[in-house]
Amino acid sequence: MDVKFVNPFINAITTVLPQLGFITITRGKLSTREKAMPSLGVTVLVGFTKSVRGNVAYNMTKESACKIASTMMMGMPIVDFDEMAQSAISELSNMLTANVATNLASMDFEVDISTPSLTLGDGFSVKISDMPYLVIEMNIDGNLIEINMDLH
Amino acid sequence: MKEVRVLIVDDSKISYMMLTKMLEKTNFKACDYAKNSKEAIEKYQIHKPDIITMDMNLPDGDGIETSRHILKLDPNAKIIMISAMKDVSLMLKGRAAGIRSFLQKPVDPNEFIDTLSLLYQNEINMRTILEESYSKPLVKIFQRELFKLSGLQGKMMLEETIDTDFDVNGTGIILGLTGNPSGRIVIYATDTTMIEFARLVLNLDDDDDLSEEAAQDAFEEAANILMGNYVSKLNDVFKNNEIRLAPPGIITGTKIRVLNTKLKSFKITAKTRIGDLEMSIGFAGRQDEWM
Repeated sequence: MDVKFVNPFINAITTVLPQLGFITITRGKLSTREKAMPSLGVTVLVGFTKSVRGNVAYNMTKESACKIASTMMMGMPIVDFDEMAQSAISELSNMLTANVATNLASMDFEVDISTPSLTLGDGFSVKISDMPYLVIEMNIDGNLIEINMDLH
Repeated sequence: MKEVRVLIVDDSKISYMMLTKMLEKTNFKACDYAKNSKEAIEKYQIHKPDIITMDMNLPDGDGIETSRHILKLDPNAKIIMISAMKDVSLMLKGRAAGIRSFLQKPVDPNEFIDTLSLLYQNEINMRTILEESYSKPLVKIFQRELFKLSGLQGKMMLEETIDTDFDVNGTGIILGLTGNPSGRIVIYATDTTMIEFARLVLNLDDDDDLSEEAAQDAFEEAANILMGNYVSKLNDVFKNNEIRLAPPGIITGTKIRVLNTKLKSFKITAKTRIGDLEMSIGFAGRQDEWM
């Protein structure tokens, strides 16, 4: 757990999301967590390697995921978390994490990121670390994305 | 070199002539030209081209809709979208429809040839390479490490699972792969199998207690060892691919859907006396540049 990795994420979100048509992006609370987290319905895991190692899990409800996908698709209505919405959320995780990697590079950390793993279901749990890790809440036009990160 | 046939769909004859000109002196050849959506579908069926270039705006429909039609007829059709605008929403729609690559007008000749080459070679080479050099060695390492860790004899099965999502019921260990290619691995089992497996790995007696958390830790560690071995083997063979393994993440629950969208993936199953230990390995390839 290292707070110096928080800003690269916040910068990534505030840089990437406005380009995709999101308007109000605010930072919610920052907290720590231990052991497994409950998935809110849609959880995307991305792994980091090289000089910073760890995992990040973007956690959101299916409703938020649909609304976010809809904005990305220029307001096209999305009711089901269908293939197109899944593809949009995968792509979003990829874009955000790639931007984080760029931000880390400017802090002299060379990193590489894995393909996002998109998991989906009811009442499952996700564990990214045996140690305490950080959780940043971001509010994107009224939709919560919880960023769970364990990087070191 | 084998001739690779390209069907060009564009309502402008000039665009068609320009693209055809770019293909001169290459092994790609424009086999025909379709000026609208209807013709594109007809001519696709007549020629069965290796690759299609698809203009976004057609007089009787849009390029994405036309691509959907063609992909319904042949899910393996390789389509390159060419459009005047390069916007994210369009690309997401196109990608969801199954379009492989995107180019912006005016098309740069080198980029065009590179895209065609990548698309064509990827298709023939990537699948073989991924199966022969990446997946088959993993089957052997999985079997060997399974035996070393737990004494279990696994009857191994390998199948290709392109774009097939799967469910984890129990526990899954997710490990990201970075480098070339990037990807991810999920090793999963039912909780009953996982606990039995952990007891074998930890060499416990029948009356020893084992918490579910401790069993998960053992499962995670075993997955990590197995994949660590695999990755170092890959790096011995492919010296410049810099393949690395991210730390494990664990998912637990029932009916957790794991998506395989846009990944070339393989499923490996080890059938053992305590149940199936399953693994999905998916590669993203190198087509992420088009965003």
